[in-house]
Amino acid sequence: MIRTDEHHSCKGTPMCHSDQKQLQSNSMKNGYHKKEKVQKNGKGDGFHQPRVRGEDSFEEAPMYVAVLTYMGYGIVILFGYFRDFLRAVGFEKCHQAQEREEQKDFVPLYQDFENFYKRNLYTRVRDNWNRPICSLPGPVFDVMERVSDDYNWTFRLTGRTIENVINMGSYNYLGFAENNVDFLKTVAEETRQYGVGVCSTRQELGNLSTHEKLERLVAEFLGVESAMAFGMGFATNSMNIPALVGKGCLILSDELNHTSLILGARLSGATIRVFKHNNMQSLEKMLKDAICSGQPRTHRAWKKILIMVEGIYSMEGSLVRLPEILALKKKYKAYLYLDEAHSIGAVGPTGRGVTEYFGVDPNEVDVLMGTFTKSFGAAGGYIAGKKELVDYLRSHSHSAVYATAMSPPVVEQIIRAIKCIMGVDGTTEGQRRVRQLAENTRYLRSRLKEMGFIIYGNQDSPVVPLLLYLPGKVGAFSRAMLKRKIGVVVVGFPATPITEARARFCVSAAHTREMLDKVLQSLDELGDDIKLKFSRHRSSYRPELYDETDFELDS
Amino acid sequence: MALGDAWKQLSWFYYQYLLVTALYMLEPWERTIFNSLLVTVAAMAIYTGYVFMPQHIMAILHYFEVVQ
Repeated sequence: MIRTDEHHSCKGTPMCHSDQKQLQSNSMKNGYHKKEKVQKNGKGDGFHQPRVRGEDSFEEAPMYVAVLTYMGYGIVILFGYFRDFLRAVGFEKCHQAQEREEQKDFVPLYQDFENFYKRNLYTRVRDNWNRPICSLPGPVFDVMERVSDDYNWTFRLTGRTIENVINMGSYNYLGFAENNVDFLKTVAEETRQYGVGVCSTRQELGNLSTHEKLERLVAEFLGVESAMAFGMGFATNSMNIPALVGKGCLILSDELNHTSLILGARLSGATIRVFKHNNMQSLEKMLKDAICSGQPRTHRAWKKILIMVEGIYSMEGSLVRLPEILALKKKYKAYLYLDEAHSIGAVGPTGRGVTEYFGVDPNEVDVLMGTFTKSFGAAGGYIAGKKELVDYLRSHSHSAVYATAMSPPVVEQIIRAIKCIMGVDGTTEGQRRVRQLAENTRYLRSRLKEMGFIIYGNQDSPVVPLLLYLPGKVGAFSRAMLKRKIGVVVVGFPATPITEARARFCVSAAHTREMLDKVLQSLDELGDDIKLKFSRHRSSYRPELYDETDFELDS
Repeated sequence: MALGDAWKQLSWFYYQYLLVTALYMLEPWERTIFNSLLVTVAAMAIYTGYVFMPQHIMAILHYFEVVQ
């Protein structure tokens, strides 16, 4: 990787990477210099103090629930083996892909646990995912009715639509997934002027003026020097981390990081060490060990240590411990990569993300990353930070150089969404939405806790996972909710640990109180009917210091 | 009426049993197999208990020297 060459002049001491950075920023640079400081909005009224972060709750279920979960999985797995036997013997037709007769003696392709799980467990309840939607994913939407005649191996649409289903699954935190003609005037204008396709990469002929406008706006919104936007959120992570770190660097990544971060880390070739979720003692121990022992065999100093965390973790709804991580980062001279995919626009008094929520200066975080998919109703991602960082990424990131540029109407949608949140367009609509989201989140979470469900995560996060645990209840819950005209997303293995299947609600600012009340009432009834109210109002005690994980992936 | 209510209650209990044992996910013929296996095993246990209970009780009483 080109990046690592810059550090060859490093004298081998572990503390020299920040000195290197200082040196570069003082030297003369070509190009555009931003003389004046970034225009920031005012501090706001004194009412919105940076909130002290409440504790994340990860309540444990009663013992019998764990036992029944394992028993349920055991029974279904036994029947899975029985059905596989019938398929192998020939009593039953195999609907899934199979090897050809001539290849039966070769290495088996479909015998690992993933394929077994897919054939025998996932397919049985497959009708709860990939439901076709035929309207925009606003607070209510229309679902096409779909039935299966052969137990979910094939589906057919009946032609009817289930209308006005309350949407509790879309990432529509600020309600920007709307088709209101007045709000979308600028987007229509932009489409008329630029068309829809860009037909080039940013590096060649695809750098439109709207892209530059967007990046300046994103930088201003976040309060940092500079930003760059990419066409796809997943690709922002997976293609930019390899540009930032390489062989000889260390990545300390949280246990529950998203696949895009893990993929980016693996592609980069750096050594990856995983610390327990949100556990600062574990992280500090790893930092100390990394700096004391250096690289595995040679014991040279690490070229860079990058801590990768997310703002809100999408499966748990827990918030990052940002002030502690910043303190650790400064103490051990590491870098921080903060993925605010779910938290930008959704937390913080004015919607600026976790940095604002904790009252932290966004310039302290080295790499701020986020996506436009969740709170801005568009597609794509951004990386923001110091000007040198972003300029470097413009020429060294795979996504910037090879991927097609963002489409103009999408860019305009993001611009209008950010302007709305910032209040630049002259209305208070954006701020109203941010406040509405906070209120909806608090209302839903407190009511669900009162009812006795086990909810994970921080009280301020709009991602609300409701634990279901038992495999039978996962399918029953989703189907019953759809019958009551509420669309939910249920998640099981492998996205979550096998014993912790859950339903994940995404609160939106566009949900009205009546909709939330209807959802709560249905959940109440369903909770009694299916027996989901496991909470004993006792949060589990998570001991602060764990044995260090010896999970180390060498390149 | 009472029979209707009892039937509803029983059917709710059966539904709970299906959910908890994950039989809810299985096809009807698989449920039949599992239920018949369960009933067979339970029947055998009850039958064995019925046949051997007097013997066991006599042995216990003999051990505690209640009866000679």
